[in-house]
Amino acid sequence: MIKPVHNSRLFFAPIILLFLVCAGQAVTKRSPKNQERLSAEEQKVIKYLVADWGEDYSVTSVDIAMAALKMKPSDESRFRIGNHIKTHPELHEIIRRWGWVTLVLTPDEKLIARTLINADRDGKPQPTVSDIAKAVGITEVKADQGLSMLERYEIVQRAASKGAGYKVVTRYIKWEPRLDFIFHKVSLDGGRQFNTN
Amino acid sequence: MLLVSSKLADEKVTIDTSSPEGTARIHVVFDKGKPATVEPASTILFMGGG
Repeated sequence: MIKPVHNSRLFFAPIILLFLVCAGQAVTKRSPKNQERLSAEEQKVIKYLVADWGEDYSVTSVDIAMAALKMKPSDESRFRIGNHIKTHPELHEIIRRWGWVTLVLTPDEKLIARTLINADRDGKPQPTVSDIAKAVGITEVKADQGLSMLERYEIVQRAASKGAGYKVVTRYIKWEPRLDFIFHKVSLDGGRQFNTN
Repeated sequence: MLLVSSKLADEKVTIDTSSPEGTARIHVVFDKGKPATVEPASTILFMGGG
């Protein structure tokens, strides 16, 4: 004969198992590879931006916020913060009004995207990394790093054939007036920097 | 430009910006609301809209 205490265990075991499975699935869904939890330092950047956006027409970008907080420059951190902004438009009206792209890219990355867009618009061959570096006024290493960041944000795609370069995805090509690829950085004598649009 | 001529009119303000459609960079320094340095020299500044 089964004692009452065993009955109770038999009743609760499947419930606990079901709860653990559900909890595990929820964690998996919330933590895709590129949406890792922000570090305390990265969260400070988000807090800085949310307080800054809208002040003096500010649409300040992540790189400026990181510099203002004296964070060590890091493309990885910048991408994690940018991706957080991309996936959380509820954070601020500025994200919804101007779009996440203008807030997460550096001036160099915007000009790289524009180089590719202009070539496509004018029916010219896809620019090489060397062409892009020359047009933007940066080194080829910097141009390559910029292209990698644009690829991670799915703004550009690497061409299928090796060595054929990159192209901007279609939705950005006819994106009049390509607002997200412009920048206006304001620097005040007191040290404050911000972007406007 | 609205900021430079109003709230920031008594300050030295540096603007780094992109040309409207090309890949050129523009660097302008305003001192008390007036342009002090403009690079490249061919840059055209205008205010207003419609």
